[in-house]
Amino acid sequence: MKFFSQIVELFSTEKYMDIIWEGLQTTLIISVLAALLGLLLGTLVALVTISPQSGWMMVPKAICKAYVTIVRGTPMALQLFIMAYVVFAFRGFPEELTATLAFGINSGAYVAENIRGGILSVDIGQTEAGRALGLTRKITLSRIVIPQAIKNVIPSIGNELIALIKETSIVSMIGMFDLTMAAKIIGSGNNMASYIVPMTVVALFYLAIVYLLTFGIKLIERRLRAGDKR
Amino acid sequence: MTNGDNGNETGARSVYIKDVHKSFGSLHVLQGVSTTIHNGEKVAVIGPSGSGKSTLLRCMNLLEEPTGGEVWLDDRLLTRPDPYFYPEVLRASKTYASMMAQATAATADEQILQRIRVEKLLRRHEGRGFRTALAAVEQKNRLDINHARQRMGMVFQHFNLFNNMTVLQNLTLAPVQLKLKTKEQAEQRAMELLERIGLADKKDKYPSTLSGGQKQRIAIVRALAMNPEIMLFDEPTSALDPEMVGEVLDLIKQLANEGMTMVIVTHEMGFAREVADRVLFMDGGNIAEEGTPAELFSSPKNARTQEFLSKVL
Repeated sequence: MKFFSQIVELFSTEKYMDIIWEGLQTTLIISVLAALLGLLLGTLVALVTISPQSGWMMVPKAICKAYVTIVRGTPMALQLFIMAYVVFAFRGFPEELTATLAFGINSGAYVAENIRGGILSVDIGQTEAGRALGLTRKITLSRIVIPQAIKNVIPSIGNELIALIKETSIVSMIGMFDLTMAAKIIGSGNNMASYIVPMTVVALFYLAIVYLLTFGIKLIERRLRAGDKR
Repeated sequence: MTNGDNGNETGARSVYIKDVHKSFGSLHVLQGVSTTIHNGEKVAVIGPSGSGKSTLLRCMNLLEEPTGGEVWLDDRLLTRPDPYFYPEVLRASKTYASMMAQATAATADEQILQRIRVEKLLRRHEGRGFRTALAAVEQKNRLDINHARQRMGMVFQHFNLFNNMTVLQNLTLAPVQLKLKTKEQAEQRAMELLERIGLADKKDKYPSTLSGGQKQRIAIVRALAMNPEIMLFDEPTSALDPEMVGEVLDLIKQLANEGMTMVIVTHEMGFAREVADRVLFMDGGNIAEEGTPAELFSSPKNARTQEFLSKVL
């Protein structure tokens, strides 16, 4: 029963809770900012990717294609290292920002592919009906196709956000103090002298965050699908 | 010149298709189709599957962009101008210039133009003069496709009602978004149309809760909400359960009796015979035979028409 008493000890010791709180803050800040950046970037890239083939659009389309290929084809840890030790390797650049950019850019590529898939999953007849009425491409997309695509895309975007939150744990590899790092620090301290206890506690924190997120996504999904059955 | 009043004069041309070709990769679906749809005329297009009927219809409002030839609405050009139709454009081409340089005969001009047309000799780059001449033709005649489509209603085989909108929103979206009507005006017109087809009580329902026949009748009035000059029907009853075909055909007949110009791609031979002024029989990407329903159904001249009709009648 030493395990459980130690868990109680961890929760009731202010010093440990301070360490966890600080790690949690870093994890949440990076996750939220990177998710926002990823969604923004992903939407933009998806819209460019599905735009019709025409002269001057060739260049942005090629750039977006290369972006998605490179980001999805290389390890996240490597992308983080490149950001931290190559691109923003100068002194004084806030490491939270480095991590946010690295994860946001990474997430954007996956979100872009999800959104592109969602838009393509909407029956082409919907677009044709809109265009046949004389609506422009832009109005057809924004009023008819995208509202239907969002419904299809929410579950996979949810998956992507969950993966993103958990993946932020690798920021400890560039020496940042996140939730995972907090467990390591507590575990290696003299008093606790055990990894299993802080690791379990931190795992519960991740679980709780992901569970809350899953719940939120379910709510959104249910609201969006309300129109289907009426 | 292009307003609706003028366009309603019976007998004036509504849609004019000139030597339209359409290829999908190596598949040559339309192989040079020409026809004129006159105002007030009801034209039925029949033929075996894969004969290019639907593609022809979809070329009329440019849902498919023809790979050659021209489509006109009234007196305005919908497609890009086809350079082979304009001698002044051909004369501005490099191909013409180099052929002219080698020519000696007095009638060279006419012969060369003919050769360029028949052998399709124009290449990708024909020089600046050619581009300018072509652009001038386009500038003079072309109508923006979105404006053209506002004047041409289309009804699809699979209805294609907007799934994310109620019935009323389906009917008002285009008139309001295109600023042709205020929201109130559009809703009033939509309710008139829904009452006409007896579906006013469905105005707040979503398409997924309606039967096929209801969906298709709503799709028809959605097109009518734009007050089109011509209606294009692409196999409007092919996706319906048999017991719902009648209600949709009745509505189309009503429109026909009111004098709407229409082109109907259909497999309903009885309907084509009853409603159409003219029937086009398509086969292998060409209009194989055309005539009044009486001529075409009772005494078809083309062997393929005879064979087809013997199978479906």
